[in-house]
Amino acid sequence: MELSSEDNNLTEKFLPPIEQESDVELETKVKKYLRGEGANLETLKDKKLKTQLASREKLYGKSAKTAAKIEKWLLPAEAGYLETDGLEKTWRVKQTDIANEVDLLSSRNQYDIVLPDFGPYKLDFTASGRHMIAGGRKGHLALVDMMSMNLIKEIQVKETVRDVAFLHNEQFFAAAQKKYAYIYGRDGTELHCLKERGPVARLRFLKNHFLLASVNKSGQLHYQDVTYGGMVASIRTGKGRTDVMEVNPYNGVVALGHSGGTVTMWKPTSQAPLVQMQCHPGPVSSVAFHPNGHLMATSGKERKLKIWDLRKFEEIQTIHGFHAKTLSFSQKGLLAAGTGSFVQILGDSSGSSSSHNYSRYMNHSMVKGYQIEKLMFRPYEDVIGIGHSMGWSSILIPGSGEPNFDSWVANPFETSKQRREKEVHLLLDKLPPETIMLDPSKIGAMKPSRRKEKPSRGEIEAEKEVAIEAAKSTELKKKTKGRNKPSKRTKKKKEMVENAKRTFPEQGHNNTASKKRRIGEDAAAELPASLKRFARKN
Amino acid sequence: MGEKRRSTSKTLGKNKRRKGPHLPNSILKTIANEKRPLNSDEEDDEIDSDDAIVDLYEYEEGVPEEESRKNNRYDPVVNYNYELPEDFEDENVESDDDDEGGNSDNEEGEGDDVVRHTRMLQAVTGMPSAAFDGESKRKPVLFTEAYPESEFNPTRDVLEGKGLLTIDELMAPIEGKPGFNELEKRISRMQKDAQAVVHAPLPKPERERLERKAVKGLVDKEFNKWVHMVKRNREAPTVYFNQNVSLGYSTVGAIASEFQPRTDFEKKMASVLNDNELGEAHDEDGAKLLELNEVSVEDQIKYRDHIAKMRSLLFRHELKSKRIKKIKSKTYHRLKGKDLKKSAMGALMDPEMAKEEAMKQEARRVEERMTLKHKNTGKWAKRMISRGLNVKYDGTRAAISEQLQINATLSRKMNSTNDGSSSDESDDEEELNDGSDQDTPSKLIAKAREKTLKTVEDDEVPNSGLLSLPFMARAMKKKNEEAIEGGKRALEEYEEWENSGGEENPKKTAVVSGRRVFGATAKVEAPKESRKDSDNFYDNSDSDNDTEGIENNDLGAVRDTASPARNTGAITETEKFDDDVENPASKTTFDVALFASGSWKKMKGCQNAETKKKLKKHVPYSKGQDKKESRDDESEDSESEAEEMVDGILTSASKETYEIPSQAELIQRAFAGDDVVDEFEKEKQEVLNQEVPEPEKPVLVPGWGQWTNIQKKRGLPSWMVREHEDAKKKRTLDLKTRKDARLRHVIISEKVDKKVEKLHTTTLPFPYTSKEVFEHSMRMPIGPEFNPATIVGSLNRPEVVKRAGVIIKPLKFEEANPNEKVDDEHPRSNQKQNPKKGGKTGKGQSKGKSKQKTKA
Repeated sequence: MELSSEDNNLTEKFLPPIEQESDVELETKVKKYLRGEGANLETLKDKKLKTQLASREKLYGKSAKTAAKIEKWLLPAEAGYLETDGLEKTWRVKQTDIANEVDLLSSRNQYDIVLPDFGPYKLDFTASGRHMIAGGRKGHLALVDMMSMNLIKEIQVKETVRDVAFLHNEQFFAAAQKKYAYIYGRDGTELHCLKERGPVARLRFLKNHFLLASVNKSGQLHYQDVTYGGMVASIRTGKGRTDVMEVNPYNGVVALGHSGGTVTMWKPTSQAPLVQMQCHPGPVSSVAFHPNGHLMATSGKERKLKIWDLRKFEEIQTIHGFHAKTLSFSQKGLLAAGTGSFVQILGDSSGSSSSHNYSRYMNHSMVKGYQIEKLMFRPYEDVIGIGHSMGWSSILIPGSGEPNFDSWVANPFETSKQRREKEVHLLLDKLPPETIMLDPSKIGAMKPSRRKEKPSRGEIEAEKEVAIEAAKSTELKKKTKGRNKPSKRTKKKKEMVENAKRTFPEQGHNNTASKKRRIGEDAAAELPASLKRFARKN
Repeated sequence: MGEKRRSTSKTLGKNKRRKGPHLPNSILKTIANEKRPLNSDEEDDEIDSDDAIVDLYEYEEGVPEEESRKNNRYDPVVNYNYELPEDFEDENVESDDDDEGGNSDNEEGEGDDVVRHTRMLQAVTGMPSAAFDGESKRKPVLFTEAYPESEFNPTRDVLEGKGLLTIDELMAPIEGKPGFNELEKRISRMQKDAQAVVHAPLPKPERERLERKAVKGLVDKEFNKWVHMVKRNREAPTVYFNQNVSLGYSTVGAIASEFQPRTDFEKKMASVLNDNELGEAHDEDGAKLLELNEVSVEDQIKYRDHIAKMRSLLFRHELKSKRIKKIKSKTYHRLKGKDLKKSAMGALMDPEMAKEEAMKQEARRVEERMTLKHKNTGKWAKRMISRGLNVKYDGTRAAISEQLQINATLSRKMNSTNDGSSSDESDDEEELNDGSDQDTPSKLIAKAREKTLKTVEDDEVPNSGLLSLPFMARAMKKKNEEAIEGGKRALEEYEEWENSGGEENPKKTAVVSGRRVFGATAKVEAPKESRKDSDNFYDNSDSDNDTEGIENNDLGAVRDTASPARNTGAITETEKFDDDVENPASKTTFDVALFASGSWKKMKGCQNAETKKKLKKHVPYSKGQDKKESRDDESEDSESEAEEMVDGILTSASKETYEIPSQAELIQRAFAGDDVVDEFEKEKQEVLNQEVPEPEKPVLVPGWGQWTNIQKKRGLPSWMVREHEDAKKKRTLDLKTRKDARLRHVIISEKVDKKVEKLHTTTLPFPYTSKEVFEHSMRMPIGPEFNPATIVGSLNRPEVVKRAGVIIKPLKFEEANPNEKVDDEHPRSNQKQNPKKGGKTGKGQSKGKSKQKTKA
């Protein structure tokens, strides 16, 4: 306590006014690290629990504050940005202009690699952004160290390659080839042939679950656990063939785009889709997920690009006149869309995390005739990789990558020893496939009740009224002479109404009754003993 | 008036319900209104108002005759069956008395008793009547004694000890007796001393209650001192027990330094170790040590004797063994041999013996199997089992199970060759299965043939072990012959299958079997090879994508072009095989198989050389076909596009040619997508129906309840209709509460995933009482991955921190500040332990106290 107060004093005393202003900034960061509000402890009756939770909350607060401070003061790098003044527009800035401004190291990231022979290239980066695998349609697979631009291994599989994907690190990668998908080692040796899947169209790897998800030509979705090789799930989507597939990095849900304009989301433990969304009237050409998992971008062949809020499943924004063959979100939330030989980068201009307004940020057009196949932002770098029909290219997009890497998560400068250590940790932390769900924060919470527990009071009242009305309006049978007296009839009717009332729980009355009783008791308790007998009985 | 009042007050006391008999409702209401605020407001006014009301009531109330006691028609009812509560104070009555001037003497009627009583008391005690006033006030007229008062029937006052019994009263009876004066004097002296009236002791329960109250107060005070400490410990996130604990010695040296020799041996050792002379000797040189190291003469002699004894023993043993060796007695050797035979070692060593043994074993087995002697078929065993004695007695059970065991060992089959061979076969099958999914039937057959040939071929007889025994060998021979025959039969069958399966080249099938096999495989392989070449234009030096061709071998044209190549292959084969014709049948077949694979490889090589030229011709054709396919299939056309690019036609023009058909496709798609939204809605409806199924329509079983026209007209019974409607209502409610109820373009599945349910808690964990609080407290991760290193420790600290071996002592009292907050950063020790110095714990405690103070 003393310590923290001292700290506060220090900051108040010695920090210049600018720094004090930035306390607001710190506060927002603290909020981010607090992950939501604490519970309202005032409602708790258990004093012990209350104090324990209060001290826990205090610790959380401290932790968040420390984390925020670390982020503010200790994280070395700043995110890049593109600043224009006056009438200049960010999207007018060309790559050549950027090249003139940036340092030598960054300018090395602008290049075209021309490989005209082996067709449009698919790309995939490792989580750290250190390594890239490029798969040419005509069977050319190249594993490249992006830091040193060394070609680690290049193989020619001599058949169509439809997609490539890294597994948990650069040691393994999977390629969807003409008939089967294969897993290769870092040195290009074929380790496994995944025959069960059939001709695979798209491959994605779920890092936290160690699942290799793929969709094949007949629209079957397969999940295979790469740790032991078992097929965790094979799901028939029943929506025809598709080659639009993306994984939501937040929760591991796989989204498929279909020719009917629907996007379906899947998890391995259920045969039915979690969510089906009618996103476009025409076929869906690509899907991408924001790293925080709340935003999804889809583009349809009817030349529209839509951005969806996945918490409400509502459309946030529609961008017209743009049909993207490939979409990609960067770590910082920029959205890249590629069509033909043209790349457009959209940025979130609203600046707040709650509302989103994507607008043009940057453009890039390739040499005419190049057909863009795949766009992918390189993690932890302000770089986007473009796989196209004539090889692959890389351009600079300031402000796209996360400037500071967390070596717990991904380390671009990983040594082999660290990598091995990490691999073991990843395996130990592997999540079972059933943890894939729309809202993973619900894990560990109370089981959601299947039915609505209780109808609300108003509903009960309404129902009761209806029942009473019905009882009143029922026609009584005509009985024989003696039993048909009006008095008997009214009595009978009263009885019916009473019965109708009785079927509903008398919660309200019970409550008031008990309340009244309590008041009476209180009054009796207050009175002296001699007067108790005079207290009003209810 | 006064009397009436008294009586009413009495009745008031009696019937608590106190209903004013016949007051109109309006008056009652006004009374109630008057009363309520007063009740709640002040207590002083209360009484007066009550009085007023009481007056009102009294006015109306009639008194029953038997209670008024005007005439003695009724038996006098003793009213003390009603007892007022302990702490009852009837203020009304008091006030009544005040009104009347409190003169109890003037009371009349049934108050006569009281008057008499007071008068009596007055007479007895000589005290003024005012002294008894209080008594009468408190219990005005409650008691009417059933009997006249006497020493046998003391009044209630006397019994309860409320009446003041003075010594004078006690003395009165003995007045005038001898010694009375003396006694009186003494008493008066005592009275002077005490100057106080000695009250009668309280009744026991009351006294005890008072005592308990006093004790409780004290105990409360004592215990309340601990409340803060207990509270602090209860609420502390962590309780520490590990501070200032020194567990004694730190090093081995420290332990050794305090060693005291206790036993004789230890003392001896110590005396030697601590010998100054020895130490000096060590320090100076070794010469003196030698002196000290003397061996005594006796010891030396003892040692020599021992060795001599050992030598003589050895010599005797040698002699004995020599003698035994010389023995020529047959009986002796027979017995000896028997011993040897018995041992398992002997059996293993001698092959002859082993044979014998095996024979014997076999005979025993046969015997056992025939007689079933040990299978509890004996008289005794049957009897035991039938009477259930084997269950009852352990011994019997053991005996029976032993018999069974013997039976099992005797009748156990010897390690047969069958097991091994069958497992081999299964292995083979597995292999076959592995390859089968991409193999053609002809290939399969070929493989199967090869396998059978191989198994037929290797009929080697093992030279050692059980299998080498003659009877085993015989059996194996027999079996092998059978197997070979079977194999031959299988081979013939294969041939037949092939003849029926392969349509082409029927004439060639008439020749040697081996040839045909490879003709067929070549047929399959050749087109594939050529096809691959046409696809990729790569060096096909060692490509192993065999299966591709099979998929595509419906291309008739390609096969045709490849057929010459196949023919050449076949020819080469025939040449090779002709050489081997003379050899015996089974041998040849095997050789053919071996040879054929080699020749196939060769053939492949030459075929490559030949076909390469021809391939050029049919490439355009196949490409055209690919293109046709591409119209149907999206990804296929991209492949063909890729091919074009390989040919070096990567221009914008080529792109145009690609887009023209796709535009048509686009149009088609555009039309196709017209009813996409409707379709989606239909789908949604389906999903909804599936997840929230519609209630079944109520139907009557035909014939039931339809006997008459009236019944028919009435239709379904009302309860059925009602149930159906309820179900419908429920369904609509469920649909409304779904997450996707308001989102037309979204279907959110609400199926319950059982696997996921495992990840939720079904009940709230213990201390939590509300779901919100629990879920909020779970929101923060506490692992090192998510928190700064400085906080992780305190986030994950266990509830109790304690080093192993620390003794947790009972809580000791210390002054605790009730307002102190628990601070996790400065761990507070719950105890200071110092096992070595037991007396100093107090000091540690005080230290802790001072620390606490500074902290606070």
